[in-house]
Amino acid sequence: MSTTPSHSASHGAATQPWSGLRVVDEGGLCTAYATRLWAALGAEVVVLEPPGGHPYRQLPPFAPGTTAPEGSLWWASFGQNKRSVVAEANSELAVELRRRADVVLVEPGPDERRAVLERTPDNVLVAVTPFGLRGPRANWQGSDLVAWAASGLSYVTGFPDRPPVALAKLNFAAHVTAMVAVGGAMVALRARKATGGGQLVDVSMQQANAMLSPEAGVPLVLDDGVHRSRSGNRRTVSRPFGLYPCADGFVSIIIVQPAHWNNLAAWMAEATGMDAVLEPAFVDLATRWEASEFIDATTEMLTMPLTKHELFVEGQRRNIPITPVNTVADLAVDPHLEAAGFWREGDHPVVGPHRHPGAPFTGAEGWWHWSRAPLLDEHRHDVASRWDIPDTALA
Amino acid sequence: MDAGSRPFDGLRVVELSIAIAAPSCGRMLAYFGADVMKLESQQHPDVARLFGSAWARTPELAAVFTDTSPYLPEMNANKRSVGLNLKSPAALAAAKALIANADVFLTNYSTPAVTDLGLDADTLRALNPRLIYAALPAFGSDPDRPYYEFISWGPNQAPLVGLDEVTGFPDQEPAGVAAFAPPDYFAGLHAFFGLMTALEHRDRTGEGCWLDLSQFEITVSALGPYALDQQLSGEVVTRSGNRVGWYAPQGVYRCTGEDRWVAVTVQDDGAWRALAGVLDGSGALAADASLATMAGRHAAHDRLDELLGAWTATRSPEQAAAELQEAGVAAHAVHSPETQLTDLQLTEYGWYQARPSFRFPDGDLLGSCAMHLAGTPGRWDRGAPSMGEHTADALTEVAGLDAEAIGDLVDAGAAFLPTAPDLKLHRPYEHVLRFLGLQEDAR
Repeated sequence: MSTTPSHSASHGAATQPWSGLRVVDEGGLCTAYATRLWAALGAEVVVLEPPGGHPYRQLPPFAPGTTAPEGSLWWASFGQNKRSVVAEANSELAVELRRRADVVLVEPGPDERRAVLERTPDNVLVAVTPFGLRGPRANWQGSDLVAWAASGLSYVTGFPDRPPVALAKLNFAAHVTAMVAVGGAMVALRARKATGGGQLVDVSMQQANAMLSPEAGVPLVLDDGVHRSRSGNRRTVSRPFGLYPCADGFVSIIIVQPAHWNNLAAWMAEATGMDAVLEPAFVDLATRWEASEFIDATTEMLTMPLTKHELFVEGQRRNIPITPVNTVADLAVDPHLEAAGFWREGDHPVVGPHRHPGAPFTGAEGWWHWSRAPLLDEHRHDVASRWDIPDTALA
Repeated sequence: MDAGSRPFDGLRVVELSIAIAAPSCGRMLAYFGADVMKLESQQHPDVARLFGSAWARTPELAAVFTDTSPYLPEMNANKRSVGLNLKSPAALAAAKALIANADVFLTNYSTPAVTDLGLDADTLRALNPRLIYAALPAFGSDPDRPYYEFISWGPNQAPLVGLDEVTGFPDQEPAGVAAFAPPDYFAGLHAFFGLMTALEHRDRTGEGCWLDLSQFEITVSALGPYALDQQLSGEVVTRSGNRVGWYAPQGVYRCTGEDRWVAVTVQDDGAWRALAGVLDGSGALAADASLATMAGRHAAHDRLDELLGAWTATRSPEQAAAELQEAGVAAHAVHSPETQLTDLQLTEYGWYQARPSFRFPDGDLLGSCAMHLAGTPGRWDRGAPSMGEHTADALTEVAGLDAEAIGDLVDAGAAFLPTAPDLKLHRPYEHVLRFLGLQEDAR
């Protein structure tokens, strides 16, 4: 068991579902989100960092007054619960670590992909690439933005008179890919219980994010022959259906069910005096779509004087699906997250004390344990001794 | 394992689900061999069924309309459909007989809704202590939390969890993620991750567990770096078009053709030199010291966008991406649904497949699963089930009912079988699938 200060005494305790599992994470942006969760559930995740450090160590934003390699808030967040060992990819240390791991995750560069594809690994080897290990574009380069473009998600996101946009600033495509990569590793581990053997798991950013594309829609477009593109922040199916401005920002109002419409119409009539919205014909989605201008204008008469929080709470009290367009500042003081104990107190020798997201879901008692992101190479000797790495490999 | 066997062979899952979040998780389990039995009701069909298909809005097809939505194979391929009108006590008893013999109960009904039905976690875990009860309500299962009774579904989770605020251009209102619901799929992936963990937990302890997957917390957990930035620096992350603080230039640029675009990311200084060489054969751009670093290129981003946009404007997205990738710059066409269907990489991996189903015996289109296991691959055996297609089979094999008991349930309206079993359908685009080699020519 680890005695290093970055891990709580209970790390690896038998109560944790993945305790005893050894994972070597050589991935970059596309594995970190999910290996952080895996490590919090007991897997021993060793981040095998190149001498310059993990790519997330270089990404802004940084904690005030800090720099790489320890100050990046990406690293402080997604390096959590893991251990750090620095080694060149082809060093003896790297080879010995991989050999002892149950799972190795890699993001091979363009020139390395063919070799990975041809390997028959003894353990579970997860290879994450922009477009997959095989095929005519296997050696293409990628990014979060490129993944959204290639998976059909960008085309339908944005305003029709502006370029398509993505969630690139959140690295969201990378996090989706990470969940698919670790999910695939977990399936391979279940298979290993039956076969006793390892295998290669081939995961691409393009396909991981194409799993989010059904609504953007190839089968949909083929079926009804209606081309779909960007429609701004309201969907072209009915009204109200999307974002509406209010006193301090925006709220989302999405009405499909008749009961929800009736509740909203009653509120609109009450607040604006526009009794015309109570017309029974407006219960029909298509009728409201035809009367978009009127419905949108009346909706905005309701929303403009109120704050997003007022609209959220009073709307929900009236059983109307209204949600606020939240910022991270709103989420930091959100009463539900507070009551859920979602934010956890953390500390880090460089970043300092902070609150970080805790468990995204709950399972059995004692599953989750949290510890700070490791300093560069912090666990070199600790891991080497517990994994029985020969001294020669540490030279 | 035998050839053709899969990692989840023998795993039984009972799914009570709507739309995307839980179904997308159950579908991955079914891809790897789990027997996923989706409970379906005629009184309250899954909203994905209610969309139907535009061409099926005819009196002749009214009886099978709820089998026609193109969303169905996208969400429910490989699953079995068990028709039980759960408000009936006899149907509820049959559902519980399935769950008593299942490994997993997977639902994204709200907690009050499953409680009203008598399928809450306490009841089912008492019935089957080895059961893994996985619930994905919007705001979790704790009635003491402030939003417990609030209503939210896919499209208005994205604004709630902070995704819409950061989507769009800084000079405009948020574009939001309006056309699809990332939090739904993200929740489905976390449910899958949670179920794999719960199976491991059960292997070690012999005990089932209750996975409470609040969709709200799940997506907020991806905002960690910016949550820390807000606390420590007071910075509130907002939209920035397609620009990020660590690559420059990066953007989506107009190409030849109607509404056609290419996405480009200059991932490091080497890629910049490569791009500069492509844009300016004279070498002057590559030699400009002010652009040699990422910080310098950020400062000049507007000018670089103009240069790059002028270059892409004379090329198709495919040509622009190929030229840039050849030089070592990350780029790809922005796929529309039409171009995505014939994507070379997706085709290489058999992403779009036509699989037969009860209602579409010649094949129905589905997108695959991104987890490619070389040794124990998943596969798609069939498209989406017809409503009630497997009622008799599942109640016989899993719940242990005999034919007479099942007949009684059907006669009483507690269970149901497929409507119009002889009515078979064809998608209006089968010629496209044959052209692409996704479907055999049955003529």
